[in-house]
Amino acid sequence: MNLSLTKHSRSHTLLWVMCAIGAVFIVRLFYLQVIQHDHYEAEALREHTTKFTLPAQRGEIFARDGASKITPLVLNEASYTVYADPRYVTDGAKTAEALRKIAGGNTVNGFEANLKNKDLQYTILARQISQKQADLLEAEKLPGVGMQAQDRRVYPEGGLAAQVLGYVNNDGQGQYGIEQALNGTLSGKPGLLKAVTDVRGIPLSVGNNVQEPAQDGKNLVLSIDRNIQSYIEQVLKDGLEKVKAKHGSVIVMDPKTGKVMAMANLPTFDPATYYKTEDYSAFQNAVVSNPYEAGSVVKTFTMGTGLNEGAVNKDSTYNNTGSVKIDDATIRNVLQNVNGTRTMTEVFEYSLNTGVVHVLEQLGDGNLNAKARERLYGYFTDHFLFGKKTGIEQSGESGGEIIAPDVAEGNNVRYANMTFGQGMDNTMIQLASAYSAMINGGTYYKPTVIDGYADDDGAVSKKNPEVVKTDVLRPEISRQLVDMMHDARTRSLKGVDRGGYFIGGKTGTSQTIDPKTGKYSDKNAIGSYLGFGGNSNSNPRYVIMVRVTDAQVSDTATAGGVAAAPIFTNISNWLLDYLQVRPL
Amino acid sequence: MSSSTTLTINMPQSTGRSSQAWRRNQNTVRHQLTAGLGPVSHTVLIAIMLCILGLIYLTQITKTSAYGYQINDLKNKQEKLADQKRDLEVESARLQALERVKNSDVAKAMTTPVETNYTN
Repeated sequence: MNLSLTKHSRSHTLLWVMCAIGAVFIVRLFYLQVIQHDHYEAEALREHTTKFTLPAQRGEIFARDGASKITPLVLNEASYTVYADPRYVTDGAKTAEALRKIAGGNTVNGFEANLKNKDLQYTILARQISQKQADLLEAEKLPGVGMQAQDRRVYPEGGLAAQVLGYVNNDGQGQYGIEQALNGTLSGKPGLLKAVTDVRGIPLSVGNNVQEPAQDGKNLVLSIDRNIQSYIEQVLKDGLEKVKAKHGSVIVMDPKTGKVMAMANLPTFDPATYYKTEDYSAFQNAVVSNPYEAGSVVKTFTMGTGLNEGAVNKDSTYNNTGSVKIDDATIRNVLQNVNGTRTMTEVFEYSLNTGVVHVLEQLGDGNLNAKARERLYGYFTDHFLFGKKTGIEQSGESGGEIIAPDVAEGNNVRYANMTFGQGMDNTMIQLASAYSAMINGGTYYKPTVIDGYADDDGAVSKKNPEVVKTDVLRPEISRQLVDMMHDARTRSLKGVDRGGYFIGGKTGTSQTIDPKTGKYSDKNAIGSYLGFGGNSNSNPRYVIMVRVTDAQVSDTATAGGVAAAPIFTNISNWLLDYLQVRPL
Repeated sequence: MSSSTTLTINMPQSTGRSSQAWRRNQNTVRHQLTAGLGPVSHTVLIAIMLCILGLIYLTQITKTSAYGYQINDLKNKQEKLADQKRDLEVESARLQALERVKNSDVAKAMTTPVETNYTN
């Protein structure tokens, strides 16, 4: 090549300048694209990548429906919140009209005015509209209007077992009942999608998308049987009306597994409209969260202690004088016309306070002393697990209160009162669980409302009963106690039970403390009944406990027999058929 | 008088014995190609090939992006169908609710048995 250009000095200079500039570009590009590659790639990815949270579906809750089927109590349903950016709404009147027509009662108060307010960028027009309503609204193609989907809990059985279930608040958190107790199990774990998106935010299948799938919450199958639950709710309602009471509770338990078959309280609430409830105490499951002085139903536990310790036996007798003096206090029986020699079964039959104080004295080798108190306390806390939470899957469980014998308050008078259920607090779940252990041969099962877990196809994996303690009572003592309770019931409540069955139980009436005087009052009493049913002394099929808190009866001392016992009897007789218990 | 001419063009002599040994009076012609691609042609060809490769790459990327939209559409459909399924399950559960069953004509026509007997 023989170009004159190459010989020209200015051109030569220009060539070198161009080469230098080119070299600068090349070096810069090398720096940006090779050396800084990772940094800029990350920057670009951050720009184009969007993180999406993949919501986990909250677990559904089922109840048993007879022996083999399950039925839904709580399901999830898609619902939508309708919102608008008024700046983009072209025809406010048309939008408002469409919303009124389609969303109806779901519209938010004053949404028409908000639609006209062009200063707003976001305003909610309607809440919780259904899928069908959302489809209709979408078909209207309203400019500036959007919808946000979310799940809501629906209750096909209405308020059935409301306090066992609890509810889910607007933040998606379980409140009360099993919704709160097992919130973590039910809510699952949200997933994550990191993906390159287009300008509309639609994920594209380019780049290294990262997806962690959501883990849906577990579907629970409750041990609650919807038929038993429905029945006891109705019977409780009717029973309270008869004695003009407003507050009451019932629990039905399988004594051989600790599984709760039904649990109801009044007053109650509707979990679908929980926000309308004014009395917040209605949210609580009083069976587990409301300890009280259970009264004479506790005599069964005192007697179980005495029998198991050999302090008394079924045929033991004592001289009932109608009252007994303990230190500076006198303890009296309600029935004053049954004085004389009485058996231990008659202690149940006539609900003799002096009889169980006698058992306590026998635990102290004939005297009410520290040994007697220690032994009773040992049984109450270590065998019957009073004073401790049972661990049932319900929020707000209380452990109750029991005073130890080595403190000043744990004196002889208190312990004499404790033999018939005063001076200590128990929840119904504690009493029903311990009672089940006493009558099933001596095994304490952890009370539970969970029967198992259901997969998406409805197949149920069963949860095994959990043994907390064995040898609560010796098996032969357990059967003796069952016999005594059966005899006592048969004699005191003649003809109320179905023939051929083995039903037993004990009433309880406890005075309540008048808040004005701070002393026990005769004006109001809590009536309780704790009993069992089956077809033999070794085959109890159910334990039922009833509590009526504010019965308006003429003689408050009989609240247990008048208000609570009829509810027990009604449920017991029905259960025999429902559970197909064959008479022997 | 006839004559024959033998033309030999840079024919490499075979070494050793060969089946194609040149024979006497055999006419043999071989053209040597002397024309080739210059550097400009090479550059153009490489540029064209790079363009084609780039186009293929872009086509694939666009296709992949299009799959992203398809996947998104299908996911939306799947979610909608799942929502519909859940709605139907809720409706089914409501129809089978105990209160509804209790108040049905069939249930109202039922009577409580006076006695229950079991056969072995």
